[in-house]
Amino acid sequence: MKTAAAPPTRQDGAVPDREALHAIQKKIQACIQCGTCTASCPNEFAMDLTPRRLWRMVLMGETDAIFTSQTFTLCSACYSCTLRCPRGLPLTEAMHDLKQMAFRGHMSRYKPSTAFYGHFMNTIRRHGRIRETEFISRYFLTMTPSKPMLPLSYTGLGFKLFRKGKMAIEYPFAAPGKRSLEKIFQKVESMEASA
Amino acid sequence: MQTKIGKALVIGGGIGGIRSALDLAEFGYGVTLIERTPHIGGILSQLDYQFPTNRCGMCKMLPLVERDASSQFCLRKGLFHENIDIRLSTELASVEGEPGQFKVTLRQEKNPVNPELCIGCGKCVEVCPVDTADAFNAGLSTRKAIYLPVPHNIPNTYRIDTGVCTQCGACQDACPTGAIQLLDEGRITFNILVVDDELIVRDSLKEWLEVEGGFQVSMAESGPEALEHIKTHGCQLMLLDIKMPGMDGVEVLQKAKELFPDLPVVMMTAYATVETAVEAMKIGALDYLIKPFDPDALIPKVIQIYQNLSTPVGPELEVGAIVMSGGTSYYNPAEGKDTYGYGSLPDVVTSIEFERLLSGTGPSGGKLVRPSDGRPITRIAWLQCIGSRDTQSDADFCSTICCMYAIKEAMVARERAARDGAQLDTSIYYMDMRTFGKSFQRYRDRSEASGVAFKRGRVHSVVPDPSGEDLQLRWVATDGTVATDHADLVVLSVGQRPAEGAQALTDMLGIERNPWGFVQTEAFSLTRTARTGIVASGAFAGLKDISESVIQASAAALAASQTIHGAGGSIGLKDCPKTIYDDVARQLPRILVAICTCNNAVTKGLDQAALVHRLQNDPAVKQVHFLDHTCTAEGWQQLEDLIKKHRPNRVLIGACLPYVYTRKLKQLGRDVALDPRLMEVVDIRSASLQPEASDNPTAAGIERILTMGIARLRHASPNPVPTVPVFQRALVVGGGIAGMTAALSIADHGFEVDLIEQSDQLGGNLHWLHHLIDGQEIEPLLTETRDRVNHHPQIDVHLTTRIVAAFGQAGTFYSTIEDGDGQARQLTHGAAILATGGSEAATTAYGFGNSDRIITQKMLEAQLHDGAIDPKALKTVVMIQCVDSREEPRNYCSRVCCPTTLKHALALKNANPDLRIVVFYRDMMATGFMETYFTQARKAGVTFIPYTLDGKPEVAVGATGDQRLMVTAHEPFLDRPVEISADRVVLATGIVPSLPQDLVQAYGVDQDEDAFFQEAESKWRPVDALKEGVFACGICHSPRNIGESIATAEAAAERALRIIASERVASGSIIAGVHESLCALCERCIEACPYDARMLDPDGERIVVNPVMCQGCGACAAVCPNDAAYVEGFDADQVMEVIDAALN
Repeated sequence: MKTAAAPPTRQDGAVPDREALHAIQKKIQACIQCGTCTASCPNEFAMDLTPRRLWRMVLMGETDAIFTSQTFTLCSACYSCTLRCPRGLPLTEAMHDLKQMAFRGHMSRYKPSTAFYGHFMNTIRRHGRIRETEFISRYFLTMTPSKPMLPLSYTGLGFKLFRKGKMAIEYPFAAPGKRSLEKIFQKVESMEASA
Repeated sequence: MQTKIGKALVIGGGIGGIRSALDLAEFGYGVTLIERTPHIGGILSQLDYQFPTNRCGMCKMLPLVERDASSQFCLRKGLFHENIDIRLSTELASVEGEPGQFKVTLRQEKNPVNPELCIGCGKCVEVCPVDTADAFNAGLSTRKAIYLPVPHNIPNTYRIDTGVCTQCGACQDACPTGAIQLLDEGRITFNILVVDDELIVRDSLKEWLEVEGGFQVSMAESGPEALEHIKTHGCQLMLLDIKMPGMDGVEVLQKAKELFPDLPVVMMTAYATVETAVEAMKIGALDYLIKPFDPDALIPKVIQIYQNLSTPVGPELEVGAIVMSGGTSYYNPAEGKDTYGYGSLPDVVTSIEFERLLSGTGPSGGKLVRPSDGRPITRIAWLQCIGSRDTQSDADFCSTICCMYAIKEAMVARERAARDGAQLDTSIYYMDMRTFGKSFQRYRDRSEASGVAFKRGRVHSVVPDPSGEDLQLRWVATDGTVATDHADLVVLSVGQRPAEGAQALTDMLGIERNPWGFVQTEAFSLTRTARTGIVASGAFAGLKDISESVIQASAAALAASQTIHGAGGSIGLKDCPKTIYDDVARQLPRILVAICTCNNAVTKGLDQAALVHRLQNDPAVKQVHFLDHTCTAEGWQQLEDLIKKHRPNRVLIGACLPYVYTRKLKQLGRDVALDPRLMEVVDIRSASLQPEASDNPTAAGIERILTMGIARLRHASPNPVPTVPVFQRALVVGGGIAGMTAALSIADHGFEVDLIEQSDQLGGNLHWLHHLIDGQEIEPLLTETRDRVNHHPQIDVHLTTRIVAAFGQAGTFYSTIEDGDGQARQLTHGAAILATGGSEAATTAYGFGNSDRIITQKMLEAQLHDGAIDPKALKTVVMIQCVDSREEPRNYCSRVCCPTTLKHALALKNANPDLRIVVFYRDMMATGFMETYFTQARKAGVTFIPYTLDGKPEVAVGATGDQRLMVTAHEPFLDRPVEISADRVVLATGIVPSLPQDLVQAYGVDQDEDAFFQEAESKWRPVDALKEGVFACGICHSPRNIGESIATAEAAAERALRIIASERVASGSIIAGVHESLCALCERCIEACPYDARMLDPDGERIVVNPVMCQGCGACAAVCPNDAAYVEGFDADQVMEVIDAALN
């Protein structure tokens, strides 16, 4: 059994209340706890809560425990669970909803994930595509004040990726298709604001 | 056998159809049993083993009284009954008319093999060049285009699968009897018009259909051209593309139908326009074909359509009622997502394929070897709920049967491995193990004790092990442990689906289907549809195991019988001859031997005169004659003339296929006034086909067979078959819904019924039940049924009355009843039905009695009804399932509690959506369509927490003023304790029967270990006692809901009607007797008799045998120390003489 993480801090972002979970509960209420999601999940080994446990807690409204867990941030949206769920529940979507709640709540616990996803999307917004070097540099910039040694810990992996051509030295503002996605992002923002 | 004018049509020759047909036939109606496939038995022809015996036992469904009216051998091989006309490869073509007078026509598929000439030698198979998947072995092996549909059938005629046959003619040349007539003249003149704008489609279709199909094909490239063609040349079938420039296919169809309304049109469509094709079928298209075409699939389909169109519809039949017993089909895991690799991994098989692997007639001859490489199987994994409880495969229902068959398969596989001295691991991966029948839980426990591993978790996919040796399953246990298991065979427990063709059949009959696609039946009835006289039998109305299918089949027979009776069908057949055979009891045997030469095929090279001479050495043999063809009408007439001329008192016919003659012999017996038991047909044809081993084996073989027949006949008893008188009245004990239904069912057939009820009112448990889970009100059912009973002229209701004593046997029982004033009187009746009911079990578990907030489900039902509970005033309700149930001493599932809990949880949630409801359960028994309500309860927010026997929840009553209830338990998914403060704790305590032991004993029947009625056989005789004449229904039989109780009541009534239908019933010809001079009255035979047919005569001086109850099993003869007990037809002299003849 996995050990749960330390209790949540409420200083810089409140844990959503039980009501906030209601929409997610509605989506997964027909769950029969069969465990297909857990057994299907390729990232389950890294999760502190198995997906089935997470859903059980969502159904029981245990917000504190849910927002102590990193499980939903580790969901890589492979959709295996959604494909296989015998109840046809939108589990990947529900994982996404949890991420949204956590990131919008600015909980410090999720700062690395928030920063990671945030810079990823911002890079795309700026260039119309992902630019790995810029994206990871910005991520490190956000993280170093609290974790100064973080970039160093990725040095080895970084060199490997460079060597294999997975990452390249890029000129910051010379990408094609620049700003072409901006309109879409703006539209989504206005839709979300009115929703 | 008494025959009535009433007739019934039974559609479907599976177990349900057979049961319905036999019940109706035994009552005296004429039954036409049609079956779409070339064999009867349905799915059961493929299944060798049934739980709980892990054997078969289907033959126990055969008639027990008037046995001689029916065949008396393995029912999986075939069935004959005087009153049943079985028509194979036959479908319903049309139906018209009203209940009691339906006019139906049937269409029988042509078979190029003539069954009267085919002797089953198999020479055709040796030469057939076509190999195709063998459906009998679920595709695990191949067969030829000419094949035996079921290898063990009797009679077993070869058939040609016209869909794959290339018409090469090899079999026709090889057939020694000329039974095969391949050439289908019709096809050459059958004109098919192919309409498509693409030349390549037209050309390839023409090529395929002309060359491989043998049809005549014309082509048109546009709608107008096609219409012009049919106007000028006509055609018999149009294959019509949907998407064409200009006039599209649908428009062409409309115009063509205006010109020729009867023109058969088949649409051709790309996958994208399938919906249009379906729409086209609504305006008259026959079917549709999906592009791109696969010739292997297309040609058989066109041939099928051709055959349906060219097969003439048979003459119109008039039937009083129609029983639909189309069975079910099974989920095909290759459809849909198929995460289990079925179809690509050869060692992933369905449960039906595994049954074939277990079978001695299966692809591996019953050896447990892997389909992929033939290696012995060492680890088998069963995956449950494949295509069940899965909304992604369109199944928001539980298929009901899979849990039990998986356990059975595991048990049988283990037995097989133990026999072979092999190691075998067996694991069943499940979510809820639905052991909902009364003996199921103990069966599961037994399997667990024998080593079957039960693993709670759903396996989502199967992948090959990286080593390629076996298969990998990844799953998560309840505690969250993720495990990867290995197996070398994975069995997918596939669920049920509506039968193939169910839609077409129900549409033709005008019957609604329920939301799950099965037949929609009326409220509280599992058999009656909205159309009177058309009833559903077996699993056709959905999700039944064998036992329930058989109950349902008898109930359907009853419903059909009521309609037939209502239309006057019970009147005896006017021209039914009252047979009087010549009394030959005091004559010496005079045997006439008739030998069929089969046009000299049998007797070729046989010295006829010598054979006659040798046979006539026996003084009993008076005449020996050779006939050309006894199977033809002409040959049969010659035989009849011979008998009339010589007046023998025994007749031996040497011919082939003896079983074919059963019906013919009966007719001959009537015509020549000789008891058909004194005539016998022996098979000399097989002997003539034996490989030649010595000089003239044929002659020796034939002679041996004939002398054995002579020996048997010489000793055949000339005495008429005994009959016993029947008191045509029934007694029903118990006035609940089951008892009332049983009484009404019998009384509606014009027989008088005594209905005994110990309380002062009828209705039983219906008094406190108010609604079904679907909202159906129960009170009207009670009122209506009670009123009908009270006003029925044939029903005598005895309230505040009980049975104090009873004795008797099938046909005549004497029961002493005592009323409230202590007045006793005796009733006589021919059959007894026990319907004494049951009640909610009492409990002291979970603190019941310590607080008025700890209540049972029955109390909750009452409190919800009378308003004692206000759901809005409650915050939390805890419900606990399986209280004192499914563990010793009450180790059975009460079946109704889980649905009741769901019903109440939904009602509470409906009244107060904010109410928290927590249900503690072991396995939710939401079987069948009840699964939908389980889903609904979850959607409504009910929390379900499983518990195990060693971790039951605990209930504590608070010491403080408000006395809140505190429930503590272990939450297994989160793996931590939970504590719930509850306003109410509701206990599901289950059902206990109220079947007094002295009552059971009085009628000479048994209770099971939980004091329910012990049925003769849970699958094959589910409502009968082992002792004929006593039946049970309702919840004294087994826990069940109202609809299911009514079904058992109707089934029990139908079974009782078979007996009381006639003034006398005849026994079988093979029955036991007593040589009184040898009998020492040790009474061992009475103990040995499993059918309670023997008893000590009241004056104590002799043993008597009730001939109707005796089944001729011979147990008595085996235990008798003095040879006083004997079985007719098997006495020592006779058997010895037959053996002597065989060894000569």
